[in-house]
Amino acid sequence: MSVLRILAITRKSLAQFRHDKRTLGFVVGMPLFMVLAFGYTFGGQVHEVRTLVANDDMGPFADRLLANVTGDTLALVPAEDEAAAREEVRAGRAWAALVFPSTFSQDLSARQASLRVFLDGSSPTIVAAVLGTVRAAAEAAFAGAGGAAALSVEADYVYGSSDTRFIDSFAPGVVALAVLMVTTVFSVIIIVREKSGGMLERLFSTPLRPGELVVGHASALAVVACLQSLVVLGAALLLFQVQVVGSLPLAFGILLLFAVGNQGLGMMLSAAARNELQAVQFIPLVLFPSLLLTGVFFPLEAIPGGLRPVAYAIPMTYANDALKSIMLRGWGAFDVALDLAVLLVYDAIMLLGAAIFVRRQA
Amino acid sequence: MVRPDPSRIPAIVCKELSKSFGRVRALDRLSLLVPKGVTFGLLGPNGAGKTTSIRIWIGLTAADAGTAYVLGKRVPPRAVLPRIGYMPQEAAVYGDLTVEENLSLFGRLVGMDEGSIDRRADDVLKLVELDARRDDLVSTLSGGMKRRTSLAIAFLHDPDLLLLDEPTVGVDPELRDVFWRFFATLTSRGKTVLITTHYMEEAARCNEVALLHHGLLLAHGPPDRIKDRTHTGNLDDAFLALVRGSGVGPS
Repeated sequence: MSVLRILAITRKSLAQFRHDKRTLGFVVGMPLFMVLAFGYTFGGQVHEVRTLVANDDMGPFADRLLANVTGDTLALVPAEDEAAAREEVRAGRAWAALVFPSTFSQDLSARQASLRVFLDGSSPTIVAAVLGTVRAAAEAAFAGAGGAAALSVEADYVYGSSDTRFIDSFAPGVVALAVLMVTTVFSVIIIVREKSGGMLERLFSTPLRPGELVVGHASALAVVACLQSLVVLGAALLLFQVQVVGSLPLAFGILLLFAVGNQGLGMMLSAAARNELQAVQFIPLVLFPSLLLTGVFFPLEAIPGGLRPVAYAIPMTYANDALKSIMLRGWGAFDVALDLAVLLVYDAIMLLGAAIFVRRQA
Repeated sequence: MVRPDPSRIPAIVCKELSKSFGRVRALDRLSLLVPKGVTFGLLGPNGAGKTTSIRIWIGLTAADAGTAYVLGKRVPPRAVLPRIGYMPQEAAVYGDLTVEENLSLFGRLVGMDEGSIDRRADDVLKLVELDARRDDLVSTLSGGMKRRTSLAIAFLHDPDLLLLDEPTVGVDPELRDVFWRFFATLTSRGKTVLITTHYMEEAARCNEVALLHHGLLLAHGPPDRIKDRTHTGNLDDAFLALVRGSGVGPS
């Protein structure tokens, strides 16, 4: 072993880093970004969970309970009546609804009161937060009088059930993540490979148009994405008996729409990279925000308010929302129209961007 | 309106073509006419502007100034791209496809049907002596074989104009001779073969040559006439004499 030779190689590698400013930026910036993203989202606390309150209580106890709902876990919003509150949960505009009957105070005095809580059970994290907060408020409000023990909280699941497991809630997101990972990785590499060895200029010396190249690649990757979606969905269903109450073909369609946009994004990034090393650096930049900020493992309510706009700017948020709504709530295409529209726009912009970027590289 | 006789339209005409990359002048008011049915050599050292010229002619790069017509169409010549065969300087073949798959891909891109691709692939692979390796992955071939595959792609569709950027680099002398005889066959059929090279001795086999240096056209015409004009015995010396006379300085 020659120390001089070892040092020569070390100096060479450091010099290569020094010349590649983008890689240098990645080496410093990526870990920082990961620590910040993990730190902010893995706190696990949810905030401002939209919860409707239909309060018909003729006595003082419902108000007393509500006054004891402290912290920012729940954002309480008054509802006209029980039906209106339930409808808001059914439509996905609220996670829960608390319904106090007119005899609530009277029943509590008689030690047989019940509080109905309509719940969207598609997120066990939110269910736990809502029920936990309500029970804690009851404890605080009636502890002295022993009323908390006389109050039964009846969870009424609009979607999901008390049997909905954590895995059921994140399975749709994980399926989308798997598709995101493969389509992005493949497409990020694909144009860099075309660029190397003069392939891109040779291709564009034929009548091939940039859009045709991009859509051609996207179609090939869509076949891969189809196969992969089948494997991932199949494994989730067969091995882990993941709950699916909605249409699987519709879920499959959402995955494909999402995959096409990712391919466009990957190809666009790839066109901006000078070599495969730079191209690969884009992958965590796409993956980590999608993993942490889009509601896959933690509901969007667990993301600090300042980061929410970022969450809404990430297409994965809409793919995840659509898949969850289809698989766990049984929603149809019309119910997820907004997510579908966002994904379609995402596809169009990314494929167009990829075609423009790719043409410039030849 | 009288339409020009297609057989008399030059393969390439360019006038005052200029192109810079940053502060580097790659082409400096290049005016050139490449007639139909000749083997035309574009000569010059690295950085002379040979590849830039080809890229402009096939529409890969836009010129800063000047005009160019290829097979009668103004650049970028989309309409005539299927009639052009291009072989880039780099191997430009897919290593993870077989030789035949590479040919098929480019055949389809220029609009050939499957039957024609099969027939032509047989012929061109025989000519570049790769018919025994047609089912092999290109990554398993030697450098010279990859160049031959690349050349086979360029003339698979029997184009009217072949633009070959340094086609004989890495090809052994015997096969190089086969190539040059093949180019002569093509020109005898009215095809035009434009070859860039910095091997001056090879260029003596061209019907016409253009000598470029730092983007400037130093001379243009049949090799013998250029040698006579510069009172030299070969194109190497002719080039050096022209560089000295141009005042541009050596490369």
